[in-house]
Amino acid sequence: MNSLSSVPIILLLLIVDCGASRPLVEPLPSKLDHGHKKPLQTSRPFNVAHRGSNGEFPEETAPAYMRAIDEGADFIETDILATKDGVLICHHDVHLDDSTNIKDHPEFADRKRTIEVQGVNITGHFLVDFTWEEIQTLGTTQRYSFRDQQYNGQFPIITFEEYISIALDAPRVVGIYPEIKNPVHVNDHVKWFEGRKFEDVFLDTLKKYGYKGSYLSKDWLKKPCFIQSFAPTSLVYLSNKTDLPMVFLIDDVTVLTEDTKQTYEEITSDKYFDYISQYVVSIGPWKDTIVPVKANNHLQQPTDLIARAHAHNLQVHPYTYRLENQFLHFDFHQDAYKEYDYWINKMGVDGLFTDFTGSLHQYQEWTSPLPSKS
Amino acid sequence: MDSHCAVISLILCLMFVLGCGEARRVDYPLPSKNGKGNKQQLQITRPFNIAHRGANGELPEETAPAYMRAIDEGADFIETDILATKDGILICHHDVILDDTTNIKQHKDFVHRKTSHVVQGINTTGFFVVDFTWTEIQTLGATQRYPFRDQQYNGKFPIITFEEYIAIALDAPRVVGIYPEIKNPVHINENVKWPNGKRFEDIFVETLKKYGYKSTYLSKEWLKQPCFVQSFAPTSLIYASNLTDLPKIFLIDDVTVPTQDTNQTFEEITSDEYFDYIRHYVVGIGPWKDNIVPVGTNNFLELPTDLIARAHAHDLQVHPYTYRNENQFLHFDFKQDPYNEYEYWINTMGVDGLFTDFTGSLHQYQQWASPLNANSKSSIMHKFAKMLEGN
Repeated sequence: MNSLSSVPIILLLLIVDCGASRPLVEPLPSKLDHGHKKPLQTSRPFNVAHRGSNGEFPEETAPAYMRAIDEGADFIETDILATKDGVLICHHDVHLDDSTNIKDHPEFADRKRTIEVQGVNITGHFLVDFTWEEIQTLGTTQRYSFRDQQYNGQFPIITFEEYISIALDAPRVVGIYPEIKNPVHVNDHVKWFEGRKFEDVFLDTLKKYGYKGSYLSKDWLKKPCFIQSFAPTSLVYLSNKTDLPMVFLIDDVTVLTEDTKQTYEEITSDKYFDYISQYVVSIGPWKDTIVPVKANNHLQQPTDLIARAHAHNLQVHPYTYRLENQFLHFDFHQDAYKEYDYWINKMGVDGLFTDFTGSLHQYQEWTSPLPSKS
Repeated sequence: MDSHCAVISLILCLMFVLGCGEARRVDYPLPSKNGKGNKQQLQITRPFNIAHRGANGELPEETAPAYMRAIDEGADFIETDILATKDGILICHHDVILDDTTNIKQHKDFVHRKTSHVVQGINTTGFFVVDFTWTEIQTLGATQRYPFRDQQYNGKFPIITFEEYIAIALDAPRVVGIYPEIKNPVHINENVKWPNGKRFEDIFVETLKKYGYKSTYLSKEWLKQPCFVQSFAPTSLIYASNLTDLPKIFLIDDVTVPTQDTNQTFEEITSDEYFDYIRHYVVGIGPWKDNIVPVGTNNFLELPTDLIARAHAHDLQVHPYTYRNENQFLHFDFKQDPYNEYEYWINTMGVDGLFTDFTGSLHQYQQWASPLNANSKSSIMHKFAKMLEGN
């Protein structure tokens, strides 16, 4: 009798005792049936939704990510930058001019200025000059004039946390693939309390939502995540603080790393692969450096970059695959499916960053369907 | 005795050879064709892949390489436009002028031939096919019409004749149909004369007959050498129907363009009444796809019209033109993916054939989405036979 009457008190104590955060005593009604989400596929190259389905929607918006999940993305990809007051948001460019309607906001006209970013003088409205509240007044726009313009100004920029919640709420396991974007620039302009850096806040956000575990571990498969960056020191810094797998992005042949000022030749050498493979599981190169292109828009002979990466047990996830014919070399006869075939079957990549999730998914379903659930 | 026989044999041989001097040459099978008696048949269980002007996404249109590439890539039919030169030679060429598809600008010797003609009510200026002899045409090199397509073959390939085009189809390793158009017949008949009062349409059909093209749709003979005759000019098709049983396709231009011979409007030639009439002469229509399903200014599709349904109700096939891979030609519903466009037209709209500039892509789509072995007529018959046997 006594033990029975103490049950409600114990429960009450449990609830009260958990302090500031409200524990989930029971799962949300919408999740009751989802104890076993369809897992991440790991038997064919990853379909990485580059900035969400930005072939159809303005990049890095909620609809772009939700559409990508709908269309079969294995991972939704994003670029993380920081606002003036240190809020982490999903946005690719350091400035707001090409992907928002900021020019329709006369109140911000005076914020336009010129900064040097990665050795290049850029003029525009810089993210690091705006608070999160101000950013929220902007509407995103479709960057490419030849894509659908109908949603211009309709969707806001989202935070890192919003992006994570979209992934977590998917009806199947969908991985995230966030980039520590322009960390040198961000750390130069944005300060966090207690001397924390951009990379610390970035990782704290992931940890808050339970992202952890090494590649293909049980924890990781429940919440898959790749951390990517062009800046090797950022990745090395974080590798001490998390087991999450990392991807080293490699820019065009003329571009130096923003933090260590190393050349393309250096960071793609066997010696460098020897070194970086201790910290990352994959590289993410620009595809036209793996197989260069002639002036007549036909492919040249492939380099051995993929072979050497693979020899160092590094995956290769090239960027970026797009459907529009201006992005397709003539070898592919203006057919993106031929491009997928070339990169997946001939070049043997391990993942593809694509603006057109649905098309890549369709290709993979036709040519390498996953074994059906037993 | 032996030498006696030998001499007689020799004399007999000589007599035989001399005697055969005047006789017709005997047709023997070409060594390349021996043992290949049974070419892979034309597929007839899924919509036709019609290589519009050959694989002109990759090679200059209507050239030999464009047609050979299209055959390589799986075309059911290779399509062409037939026009006539000044001296009456039938050639494969789409435009009545040479300016956009050849390197004529580089030919100083022809500079003074530039002129104007009224063609289908429009004053057109350029170098007209009907103003050049076949010998002159042969000095030109074909070029890629679209600047965003591969320019590397510009000037390298000549214009070909109707007969060359037919030869390419007949020499294919499998049965490949032809789909020639009686192009701009009003303009041609006005400007080119043939002996014995023959018209463009007569020479056109004679060329087909010369190579053994005949008979009705799906007949045994037709399946060996498939052919659709197409035209925008109904009177040409009706005239031709008196000369050949070959199936014909009535092409329908944009909503603003009247027929060149009968001056009829789009509304008139797509009415039920007209379908009732034309179905006696043609087996199908070839409309511009954006007329079947109009497009809004935002580049999204509007609601489909019932054109296909009405054509089908009159037992008319529908072969719309033209399917292209480049995103400027793709409406946003398709998310810049030509495979989504094929899916829509084949599965949602139910067309019977597609004119495409990208034979390989359509073939790839069809092989993935509706592979032949699974639903080929012969395999269905085979399965039915097995059912009857009680297997």
